[in-house]
Amino acid sequence: MSSVNQEEEELPANHTGPKGVINDWRRYKLDSVDQTVPQKKRELLRQMSNPRDDDKERQNRKMSAQEYELIQEEDERCLKRYRKQCMQEMHERLSFGPKFECVHELESGEAFLEVIEKEHRLTLVVVHIYQHGVKGCEQMNSCLDCLAAEYPTVKFCRIDAVATGAAERFSSEVLPTLLVYKAGELLGNFLAITKHFNEEFFATDVEGFLNEYGLLSEKEFSACADDEDDAGEVE
Amino acid sequence: MGEMEQLRKEAESLKDQITAARKAVQDSTLQEAAAGITVVGRIQMKTRKTLRGHLAKIYAMHWSTDSKLCVSASQDGKLIVWDSVTTNKVNAIPLKSSWVMTCAYAPSGNLVACGGLDNMCSIYNLKGKDGNVKVMRELAAHTGYLSCCRFISDTEIITSSGDCTCILWDIETGTQKTVFAGHQGDCMSLAVAPDFKFFISGACDFTAKLWDIREGTCRQTFGGHESDVNAIGFFPNGNAVITGSDDATCKLFDLRADQELITYQDSSIMCGVTSLAPSMSGRLLLAGYDDFNVNIWDMLKAERVGKYMWKLYIPLENGRKVDPAEDSEGSSRVAVGTEH
Repeated sequence: MSSVNQEEEELPANHTGPKGVINDWRRYKLDSVDQTVPQKKRELLRQMSNPRDDDKERQNRKMSAQEYELIQEEDERCLKRYRKQCMQEMHERLSFGPKFECVHELESGEAFLEVIEKEHRLTLVVVHIYQHGVKGCEQMNSCLDCLAAEYPTVKFCRIDAVATGAAERFSSEVLPTLLVYKAGELLGNFLAITKHFNEEFFATDVEGFLNEYGLLSEKEFSACADDEDDAGEVE
Repeated sequence: MGEMEQLRKEAESLKDQITAARKAVQDSTLQEAAAGITVVGRIQMKTRKTLRGHLAKIYAMHWSTDSKLCVSASQDGKLIVWDSVTTNKVNAIPLKSSWVMTCAYAPSGNLVACGGLDNMCSIYNLKGKDGNVKVMRELAAHTGYLSCCRFISDTEIITSSGDCTCILWDIETGTQKTVFAGHQGDCMSLAVAPDFKFFISGACDFTAKLWDIREGTCRQTFGGHESDVNAIGFFPNGNAVITGSDDATCKLFDLRADQELITYQDSSIMCGVTSLAPSMSGRLLLAGYDDFNVNIWDMLKAERVGKYMWKLYIPLENGRKVDPAEDSEGSSRVAVGTEH
């Protein structure tokens, strides 16, 4: 199975929608073609998956006549194998990227900007703005220490409000604050995040909170992959 | 050859006349008209429910009119009807083909339909006598893949296909009532007007067309996109059409003004739109992109007010009250978003 590059721009094919289905089907056909199939047919399949741009007539039609002919009774075993591959690829795709071990302390406003802008575009960046003495900040720090170990692909950081150079913006009413970024974009802005929790909160509370916003869901993938092998019946 | 040239010139001049007529009635732009309106502010979407059960990519989903039940179709060859409130699976229907591209819930709640690379639209009766869900009809006539299907009633359904046509079917007899031909490229999606008199289709010829269901004619054609129109939807009041395209933009077209009102684009967005759904109020537009992100647009001001980073594929559909619904594949989850 060819490795999936991050960019995947060799083929301008869609991953989603009906075109996504066509694309998946083509890849499935290419992969399931066994070696006994004559060389010419394999070449044809390969060609069909790479429509050339100069073929204007072709551009408006997404599937060729030959492809329609190829859609016949599918081998269930092949399909199952293909689906598993798809899932695996998706996992790999999402866990690709730098790994981190613990919460990084940011020393200044510049460091903060740098981490937001320079991190890998697939890496989720969670920044905790805290201040010594403000209620909840110490607890949040220890929660994030836990989460940093459990989610190695997420970059957890923390910065003292004073160090940001914008201390007046972060008065004790809005602290602790959690900011979530990815590829330079702000995805979550949680001021006074502790108002969502009880007085005593733990790493699982923070994890659950971030999960509600779809920010930390990666961990659940491994659970789903195992369901694949269960019997086909959906109860 | 002389005649061809003449016809070509005539077509061009007609097009120019249309453009001129449209310009003549354009007395303002949407930006100007909406300038005084207060901003919406950042929208933070929250997952309310997660529906687990599919074992492979979910390709499509559709809400029932009660906004409680929904149906989803997956590469695992199953159609699942969910109760989104309890997250229970109401029905799990095995399909003959895994390559399903679309699914639909009838307004009455009695039927569901699906179709894909098998070129057919299969109708299933959910309220059969013995409680089992069986295939009621297999509507076969398209010579291309079934990209989308939508029910008009329990007896009529409209399908769009990769053979460049849309068809209105009589479900009881399983025959074609009307064939809507005119697109020059694969039809990728369709949406039915709130009054059920018209429907719109988006195709790979870069246009969207408005069709009169009873007359069988194309009333209006909307161009402007620079690539395939993948997703299409009606504005909640039925007077405007929203399209999403591979050119990374969404456009709003007004039916009465017969022209584009505004384009939703951003230089940082470079991948195609593959699904969209306006919020019930019409103020927000949720657009799903091929890079697995959902961008939320303020429809009046054409500004992005939120971004939801789903890892995976999202076909969008309008859900309960003012809630948009999202769907994701791979992790075999369906997430229901809320707010606004």
